[in-house]
Amino acid sequence: MNFAEMHQPEFAQAPATERHSHGRWEPYVDNGGTSLAIAGSDYVVVASDARQSNGYIINSRYSPKAFQLTNNVILATSGYAADAKRLVEVLEQNSQMYFHKHEKPMSTTATAQMLSNTLYGRRFFPYYVFPILAGLDTEGRGAVFAYDPVGNMERVVYRAFGSAAALVQPFLDSAVGFKNQRNADATRLLDREQALKIAIDAFTGAAERDIHTGDWLDIYIVDGNGVQHQKRELKHD
Amino acid sequence: MFLTRSEYDRGVNTFSPEGRLFQVEYAIEAIKLGTTAIGIRTNEGVILAVEKRVSSSLLVADSIEKILEIDSHVACAMSGHTADSRTMIEHARVEAQSHTFTYDEPIPVESVTQAVCDLALRFGEAADGQESTMSRPFGVALLIAGVDEKGPQLYHTDPSGTFWRYEAKAIGAGSEGAQTELQEKYHKDISMLDAELLALKVLKQVMEEKLSNTNVQLAKVTQENGYQIYTKEELQEVISRM
Repeated sequence: MNFAEMHQPEFAQAPATERHSHGRWEPYVDNGGTSLAIAGSDYVVVASDARQSNGYIINSRYSPKAFQLTNNVILATSGYAADAKRLVEVLEQNSQMYFHKHEKPMSTTATAQMLSNTLYGRRFFPYYVFPILAGLDTEGRGAVFAYDPVGNMERVVYRAFGSAAALVQPFLDSAVGFKNQRNADATRLLDREQALKIAIDAFTGAAERDIHTGDWLDIYIVDGNGVQHQKRELKHD
Repeated sequence: MFLTRSEYDRGVNTFSPEGRLFQVEYAIEAIKLGTTAIGIRTNEGVILAVEKRVSSSLLVADSIEKILEIDSHVACAMSGHTADSRTMIEHARVEAQSHTFTYDEPIPVESVTQAVCDLALRFGEAADGQESTMSRPFGVALLIAGVDEKGPQLYHTDPSGTFWRYEAKAIGAGSEGAQTELQEKYHKDISMLDAELLALKVLKQVMEEKLSNTNVQLAKVTQENGYQIYTKEELQEVISRM
């Protein structure tokens, strides 16, 4: 018996019918990955890793899941990559149509409401996506909107979604939200450098413990001057 | 004159050899039979004033409504076939609500106006995939007043589905005289109080009946309070300042 045969996983020998229960239609895949956003008084930081996986298989080491729309709004996703791609296309198209119809770019809050309606419009065959929408509101403050796949929307200061959300969200609750800490001002907003550092640390930690998160980190910073994008390295194993 | 036109009077969407759509032109004529309506834009808001023809002492004047709310920040005054305006206002209201539902923001004034004008051209045979609601053009002109992030705005629409933005505009039977008067008296820095007075003064000049708080309607749309229609008492107060 050679090495390859010895290390074949057991289920590889099982008949195909048991594994797939005979050609049942499975429209959804979880492609893993993590996204987060942190709002400040005049900026917003968005971070998403770029690994796309299917079970133990890595499909791609750089397949971005945070997208910049033309109206300076960022959509960070997780869940099913194909649905996320389609959702971004629909949003961008709506945003362009709005621009031509009303002769102004769609505001962040308008995009947020439109996204909620777009998701609820597919209430009975949802996009399997957990979107985080980030941009500046009309007063120039950082705005983060978090959604479930059927469009329930909440404006928040920070949020993490995806395969490492169970690791990252509690970290943000402590570092950004100051949750359950005596004499801490939980209402204060982070300055940009702090937020960026926390976002990077969160992903360094997530990549250590979550096999679906890693490879590259896409960071978007939106402020009054526009959108700035940077790409950083995460663990590649 | 009408005999030579008759062939091209039939189809509402048939051009005459000179390139005219007679039914649309006739619809524009219909407005000149309507009561006078006036709109004046100021830096603080927009004033709308309309004349009501109370043709009989037995007619309940309150039952005539010629200024209507489209949304809390947009209103509209009309002249021409009042019944036709019901369809247009209904459409405008639906568009405004739909915009708020979809985008969580008030609809821009120009967008409501555009929506109404899109409807105005939807007559005759329906295009592929479109439903036609009217067999003929609407015989009504509108003055659409509203406020949005671009400030107070006044638009005029006519049955051809065209719209224009105005500082001050008069439509209806007395529009020619009223427009001339507005042209003379309007200035860019006019206050709301002066605009109220100007609207009523111009209306008074072109009305056949004696102006009173029962045969005119006055409304304003301001950045602070949106659409407000004047009560009889508020109207009387303005009249007493004339």
